[in-house]
Amino acid sequence: MSALLNMEKVTGGYGDADILFDVSLHVDPDEIVVIVGPNGAGKSTAMKSVFGMLKIRGGNLLFDGDDITKWTPNRIVQRGICYVPQVDNIFREMSIHENLEMGGFLKKGDLSAAYDRIYELFPDLKERRKTAAGSLSGGQRQMVAMGRALMLDPKLLLLDEPTAGLSPKYMEQIFQICRDVRDTGVAILLVEQHAKQALAFADRGYVLAAGKNRHEGTGADLLADREVAEMFLGG
Amino acid sequence: MEFLELLNYYVIPGIVLGSIYALGAVGITLIFAILRYAHLAHGDLATLGAFIALAAVTSFGISPLAALPVAILATAAVAVGIDKVFYEHLRERPKIVTVMASLGIALMIRAVIQVVWGVDTQTYSRGIVRPEDYFGLRIRDREIYTIVAMILLVGFLQLFLTQSKWGKAMRAMSDNPSLALLSGIDNKKVVILTWVIAGGLCAASGFFLGLNTELKPMMGWHMLLPMFAGAILGGVGRVEGAVLGGLIVGIAEELSVLVIPSEYKAAMAFAILLFMLIVRPTGLLKGKVL
Repeated sequence: MSALLNMEKVTGGYGDADILFDVSLHVDPDEIVVIVGPNGAGKSTAMKSVFGMLKIRGGNLLFDGDDITKWTPNRIVQRGICYVPQVDNIFREMSIHENLEMGGFLKKGDLSAAYDRIYELFPDLKERRKTAAGSLSGGQRQMVAMGRALMLDPKLLLLDEPTAGLSPKYMEQIFQICRDVRDTGVAILLVEQHAKQALAFADRGYVLAAGKNRHEGTGADLLADREVAEMFLGG
Repeated sequence: MEFLELLNYYVIPGIVLGSIYALGAVGITLIFAILRYAHLAHGDLATLGAFIALAAVTSFGISPLAALPVAILATAAVAVGIDKVFYEHLRERPKIVTVMASLGIALMIRAVIQVVWGVDTQTYSRGIVRPEDYFGLRIRDREIYTIVAMILLVGFLQLFLTQSKWGKAMRAMSDNPSLALLSGIDNKKVVILTWVIAGGLCAASGFFLGLNTELKPMMGWHMLLPMFAGAILGGVGRVEGAVLGGLIVGIAEELSVLVIPSEYKAAMAFAILLFMLIVRPTGLLKGKVL
């Protein structure tokens, strides 16, 4: 199997109660995969399970040839998965450049190649590299958050609701950034509240409900599915 | 009153006292920002630093200023040790538990000082020091040492925090602890570093109080409130704020003698603390909200 990430029938939760039940999904290299679903469906939980933030009681997580099911977040970061939380995902009082430097904290040696790569991806940030990240607009903050996560050259980027609280204009901007990131060879797994827009932009999607797989397919297929449409429009 | 007189008898002593408070307030603000609790043993840790310097002066026969680095290093080591033996075990508990524990540590440090050095007042050197005259300003050498040392120590700290990798890691841990951990920053090393810096500055604070006045087992405890007032006045988590706050509290205490009886001098810090908490809890430089 050539999938970069393969989640096989994962069951687990934060404490004693399970939130996910036999959830399976996979992410191929160079692919944007979105997880959507109603509130409380376990979307974010499914993503956090990939990052070792969950007690997994059943199933397996395979990443790039390694079984990472029982790994700690710290080890997973160094193996090539970086995670951008939904809120508080920047160091507000530190400059953009310092945010990136902290992202590359674990990297040995010279960081200049990593800075160049990220400033090329986000030219807006380069101009304002000395600016405190907390003073930026919502869209730019998200760029800083993603830039911080990209400093370690991950193969897979996890984004938890990157467009939450942003206006439609910024939402489109964030999606465009995701495409740009993907085009540099980084796969993206993201959770989205704005299901319709997210399915329209992602390569593939998964619909979760009550902690279980409900639907999967390409974004277009899912949008065309009547049951999926009802879930988000009628629900 | 003449302007020079105001400077000589109130403002200059205020700046000296403020510099001493500032050295302690910086440590308090760092501990607040990174470990997230009020460290009530800070005053007695300063006393310990002052007495360690005294021990170095009496046993090695070195000058008080040469004893300062010894006191800084030893007190930093003690601070790291206290954290390892006591506070570390309380890390996952509610912060108020550690605050109360630090009050216990304060009493323990003071008891040790009284057992080792006795309860009497002591000095680094005997005799009266006459102030030098600089164009009408009367300043003692030790007052210049105090102010210069404070500026140098805080200047180095600022350089460290803004330019070095681990200094930035400390700021990151203060700014957003969960994201710092997510970025792979080693929390344990940041905590050790915080205690080394806070302990060292604390020793300098106690040392200069001893150099300008006398050494007493209660000297640090009496500085605790003004140091906290300085940290909160400047904005919790702000190093430059703690310096500013410490200086303002020191100068305000000295100037207060002009309007209220000098026995109530210590109440100035309390008044400033109360006023800031009510009117502007983020402090002058917009620190964390308590």
